Amino acid sequence: MATETAMRPRQEIKAQQSQQRKLEIIGIIAFVVLMAVVLPLLLSGFRLGLLGRFLSLAIVALGIDLIWGFTGLLSLGHGIFFALGGYAFAMFLQLNSLGEGQIPEFFGLYGVDTLPWFWGPFASLPFTLLAIFILPAIVAGLLGYLVFRNRIRGVYFSILTQAALVVFFNLFNGQQKWINGTNGLKTDTSVFFGQQVGSESMQMTFYLITVAVLVVMYLLCRWLTSGRFGRLLVAIRDDENRVRFSGYDPTGFKVLVFAVSGAIAGIAGALYTVQSGIVSPQFMDIAFSIEMVIWVAVGGRATLVGAILGALLVNWARALLSESFPEVWLFFQGALFLLVVTALPDGLVGWCRQQAPQQVRSLISKPEPLLTYPQIELDPDIQKERQEIGDRGA
Amino acid sequence: MTALLEIENVTVSFDGFKALNDLNFAMNEGELRVIIGPNGAGKTTFLDVITGKVQPTTGQARFQGKDLKKQAEHTIARLGIGRKFQTPRVYLNLTPRENLELSCNRDKNVFATLFKKTPTAEKRTVGGLLETIGLDHKADVPAALLSHGEKQWLEIGMLVAQSPDLLLVDEPVAGLTDEETEQTGNLLISLAQSHSIIVIEHDMEFVRQIARQVTVLHEGSVLCEGTMDEVQNDPRVIEVYLGQETHVTPEQMLLLRIAATMAWADNNFDPVQQAVILERLSQQFSSDSEERAQLKADLNNLLGKNIPLEELVPQLTTDAQREQALMLSYEVISSNQINPIEARLYQQLVTLLGLPPETVSRLEAAALENLPS
Repeated sequence: MATETAMRPRQEIKAQQSQQRKLEIIGIIAFVVLMAVVLPLLLSGFRLGLLGRFLSLAIVALGIDLIWGFTGLLSLGHGIFFALGGYAFAMFLQLNSLGEGQIPEFFGLYGVDTLPWFWGPFASLPFTLLAIFILPAIVAGLLGYLVFRNRIRGVYFSILTQAALVVFFNLFNGQQKWINGTNGLKTDTSVFFGQQVGSESMQMTFYLITVAVLVVMYLLCRWLTSGRFGRLLVAIRDDENRVRFSGYDPTGFKVLVFAVSGAIAGIAGALYTVQSGIVSPQFMDIAFSIEMVIWVAVGGRATLVGAILGALLVNWARALLSESFPEVWLFFQGALFLLVVTALPDGLVGWCRQQAPQQVRSLISKPEPLLTYPQIELDPDIQKERQEIGDRGA
Repeated sequence: MTALLEIENVTVSFDGFKALNDLNFAMNEGELRVIIGPNGAGKTTFLDVITGKVQPTTGQARFQGKDLKKQAEHTIARLGIGRKFQTPRVYLNLTPRENLELSCNRDKNVFATLFKKTPTAEKRTVGGLLETIGLDHKADVPAALLSHGEKQWLEIGMLVAQSPDLLLVDEPVAGLTDEETEQTGNLLISLAQSHSIIVIEHDMEFVRQIARQVTVLHEGSVLCEGTMDEVQNDPRVIEVYLGQETHVTPEQMLLLRIAATMAWADNNFDPVQQAVILERLSQQFSSDSEERAQLKADLNNLLGKNIPLEELVPQLTTDAQREQALMLSYEVISSNQINPIEARLYQQLVTLLGLPPETVSRLEAAALENLPS
């Protein structure tokens, strides 16, 4: 009898889980259909281009959510990884558009006549495709290893990532003879598979690739954050020292997850670059990296859907607002952040999951009457007792 | 038997303050050891040294013959030392089942955790543990919703899931109700059958329930070791617990404890009874009222209850002591309404003491005179 009562909720939970999985798959399919089929028919080329860029930003948001929402590491330096991915792809495109023996045009401005050594490998497409995510992963892994091994946490970690961001910004900004400094690298006139990157058909291809990559990255993050590994990330977030005394070394886990997050940002950066036509040190602007965090906060930490939703909504609002009132945007962003911190600490998705159903119900009709105190209704002890009493009665 | 844990001349100093001072400690396999000591005695630092949280400034700590110095916390945990913290530290956003599964995981590498599925054997272990700690019906709600006591048990469960050879348990009953305290005690006793355990505790009642061997720490070193009775009768222990110079001899302490047993007989250490005992004590200690209030709290803790008189009385050696014991006890029970339980216990004491009846009545009369009306 006792085991039966103990088993029943477990089975209910399993049934609930499989139902949730079905809903999730339907949701993903609906999202893909909407993004890849419906919206391209509805939106103009310009709007679709914007959406494509926002979708690549949603990919970074996934990476941020992975380390901040789940593992509790607030990185303010994800611009580094985003820019590295972008530069890697832009360098390949620049070289790809040249004839035999030529070097990119801008080198002429600074009197450079031989290609710097590190450009060499980027002539190869396979190398570039790997470099887009492996390069940021290595940088993130190294940075993470040094920081986490020395048990630097919390605010100090955030400050260090921001300091690293400034270092990388100055490196890229100042080195005109290497990578055209502050002007960045243009991609829209370069050639990819015989077509101009800026052409409409190429942009459409990149848009579809972005949708596909977003889905793949979502599934990757979903896999990482469910199961034992994901629970360990949450455990590290909640009480890292306890994790050590349970026999786990958190350093390895944090380095891995930070590297994965960097890799995701790198891929996003490459996709963003080809859709906006240029990569420049502005990608490593401090404000931009902080914005990434805001998207996740608005959407809801530790909910992957929230990260995507937050990135899309905030950027869409930004585009609309700055078209009509260019000067209002910054105020709006500040207000948005205040609103999230004070009223929606769990972000939009967290609010929808917890309070929204009741609040909406109380707006349109009477709230559902509670027969007893809510806590009593929910208390498993009381439920168990009720069940036992019921069984005995029958 | 081989020593499971050996601590040799360990000193830990923080900026010159010695939290542990030349500490020596050894413990055998299969032992249940309780460590007591006043606040600031270095009990928690002692655990910190064993688990690698704090490195000893000098000295050595060995577990199963292996040096623990310069080992990271997780390596020591994998050697087979599990630790429960003073305040329950469980992962609040995970369910008890998930909490236990994380601790139970045998292969704690990054990639094994990522790619391997939880083996069925581990799932079964976790299911069994959930029943042992009485959380099977709350296995799938977030641990944040558990009560304080349930969190304490969950953390003990997490410890066991690690299947360590040595369990370090820091104040497991702080903040628990009496009933929960007793259940925790039974849990630890049953765990002691298959594990070696070190328990740190303040609650003397609980210590008495579980203790076999007690070690008293004071100012970073071991003050004394022995059974609970030996330790409680040791004047040095009383001295550090009361925090004052004392001239109480072991014999006098024995008298006090017989009187305390009397007072505890009805499971109600009445303030009036306490006052009488303290009145006696004040002859040895200070007469300052503030200090006496402090004594009251300490004594309450120290004296414990339900000590069988059959064990205490034979320890009295002279007739004078026996007479004193009788007088003090009579004073204690007559200080408030004598109830049947107290009366029965008193009769037992009189029989055990074996004093002539006329002496008994003479002493009783004298005791009544002593009492303030």
